[in-house]
Amino acid sequence: MEVESVTFEGKGYALQVEDLHVWIRGKHIVKGISLEVPRRRILAVMGPSGSGKSTLLRAINRLIDLIPESRVEGRVLVYGTDVYGEDPYRVRRLMGMVFQTPNPFPNMSIYDNVAIGPRLNRLVRSREELDELVKWALEKAMLWDEVRDRLDDPPHRLSGGQQQRLCLARALALKPRLLLLDEPTGNVDPVNAVKIEEALRSLLKDLEITIVLVTHTPHQAVRISDYIAFIYSGELIEFGLTDTIALNPRHELTVKFLRGEV
Amino acid sequence: MDARDLKEKIFLAGAALLSLLAVLPVFHVLLSVIWNGLGVLMEAGPSFLTGVPPPPNGGLGGIAPSLAGTLLLAVLSSLLGIPLSLFAAIFAVEFPDNPLAKGVRVLSKALLEIPSVVVGMLIYAVVVVPMGRFSMLAGSLALAIMMIPYVTTYVEQALEGVPFTYREAGFALGLSRPRVVFDILVGIARRGILTGILIGFAKVLGETAPLLFTLGRDRYNVPLGPLDYGDSISLLIFDYAQTPYANMHRVAWGAALVLTALFLIIFLVSRRLTEEVFL
Repeated sequence: MEVESVTFEGKGYALQVEDLHVWIRGKHIVKGISLEVPRRRILAVMGPSGSGKSTLLRAINRLIDLIPESRVEGRVLVYGTDVYGEDPYRVRRLMGMVFQTPNPFPNMSIYDNVAIGPRLNRLVRSREELDELVKWALEKAMLWDEVRDRLDDPPHRLSGGQQQRLCLARALALKPRLLLLDEPTGNVDPVNAVKIEEALRSLLKDLEITIVLVTHTPHQAVRISDYIAFIYSGELIEFGLTDTIALNPRHELTVKFLRGEV
Repeated sequence: MDARDLKEKIFLAGAALLSLLAVLPVFHVLLSVIWNGLGVLMEAGPSFLTGVPPPPNGGLGGIAPSLAGTLLLAVLSSLLGIPLSLFAAIFAVEFPDNPLAKGVRVLSKALLEIPSVVVGMLIYAVVVVPMGRFSMLAGSLALAIMMIPYVTTYVEQALEGVPFTYREAGFALGLSRPRVVFDILVGIARRGILTGILIGFAKVLGETAPLLFTLGRDRYNVPLGPLDYGDSISLLIFDYAQTPYANMHRVAWGAALVLTALFLIIFLVSRRLTEEVFL
C-alpha cells in the first residue's frame, strides 16, 4: 500500500464527500450529500432506519459496486485518493469495514479470521510477522486477553459481542486509514457495546485512523463522536461538531431525532 | 373425545398409512437385494470381488472387472465433469446478469431430466464411431454429461446459500473476486459443494443406459487405460438378469448388493457432511 506517499488534496481531510448521489434500481437513496472529516476524528452518521446511512457507507468503500443496478454520482476522497477514479480493489484496502451483524468467516479459526486480510493481500513476509500482526489487531480490538489461548477455535464459540470485536480486529489487521462501521453495536449486548466504543476511542490515540460510524441511536452518536451527520430520507439535514449538534441543533428534524421522536 | 379430536386422529392415521405405503417399495428393494445378494456373497466369498464371471451353469465366479470398471468410470467422469461443473456454477452465481451465465443456468436445469439413453447415443455417434472403438473414455464422457447438470445445480445452490454479508466482508478486505470466491465463499459452502459432488458421483455409479453402447462390456479384463473396453456393475446386472442361467441370476443379485452397498456408503457420508452443525 502506498498510503504514506499520498499527498493530501485540499485541507488534509481524511474523508471528503462531494455532492454524492446513489440510485439503486432507479430509486434515489442518497441525495446530494457533502461533508468533510478531518484526520483522526470520529464521524457519527445518524438517522432513522432506511434513511440511507448504510448506502452512504457502502458508497464510500464502493461495496455499492456489488449491488446490481446501482449508480453513483459525485466524488469521494479518502486521504486524498479519489475513490471513484481508482481501481475499487485498491481503494478498498485503504478502508476497513465492520458490519451490523457480526460476520466472522465461520469456516476459519479465530486466528485465520484476522490473518486472512494480510495473508491474501500479501502484506507480511513471515509467519512471525503475521503472528505479531494478529496479536496487535486483537489487542487493538480489545479481544486479545479473551482469545489468546484459543486462537484455533472456530469463531462461533465466541459470544456475539466477541465476534463483533473479532470482525473489528479483522478490519484493523489491514491497518486501514478509514474505518467504516455499520451499526456495529446494533446486535450486541450493552457490555460489549461499551467495549467496542472504548476500543474505537482508543484507536484514535495512537493510530493514523479516522472512523465513520453509522448508528440509529442518537445517544451513541453523541457519546462517541467528534462530528455528527444527521441524515433523513437520503438528505443531509445537519452536519457539524458533535457538541454543536447535541446542544444547539438548528433543524427541527434534528431536535426531534435527538428526542427520539422520529 | 370430541369430533374434532376424532377427525385429527383419522387424518393422522391416514397420513401415516400413506407414507408407509410410499416408503414400502424402498424397503422391499433393499430387503430383497440384501436377502438374495447376501447368500451369494457368503457362498462366493472374497473372490466375488476379485474373480471373473462364471460360465453358464458354472458356479459364481466374481465381478472384479465390472466393479473396477464402475469405480474407474466414476472417477474418470468426475475428473472430467466436476471441474467443469464447479466453474459453470461459479460463473452462473458470480455473473447472474451475463447472458451466457443465464444460459448455463437454464441448460443445467433442463439437462437434469435428459433421457440418459440419448446421451449414450450422442457419445456413440460423436466419440465411439469416429474412434472406431468402445472405450472407458467414451463411457466416462457419457457419464460426465449425466453428472454435470446435477453437480452444477447443487454447487450453484450451495454458493447462493452463502449469506451476502460474507461476500461483502471479503470485498471489504480489498480482495479480488477470485480470492473472495475461492478463499471465502467456496470455503463457507464447502459442505454443500461436497454433497453435490457426492450426489453426482452416486448418480453415475448406477447409470446403465449411457453405457450400453459406449463401453464395450468386456467383463473378463480389468480396464487399465482410458482406451480399453470396460464394463460396469449396472451393465452386468442388466445382462445377467436376462440370461436363462440360474447361476448368472445369482451373480446379478450379488452384484446388486455390491452396488447398493456403494450407494449406501456415499449416502451415509453425504448425510454426515450435511448434518454437521454449521455456524
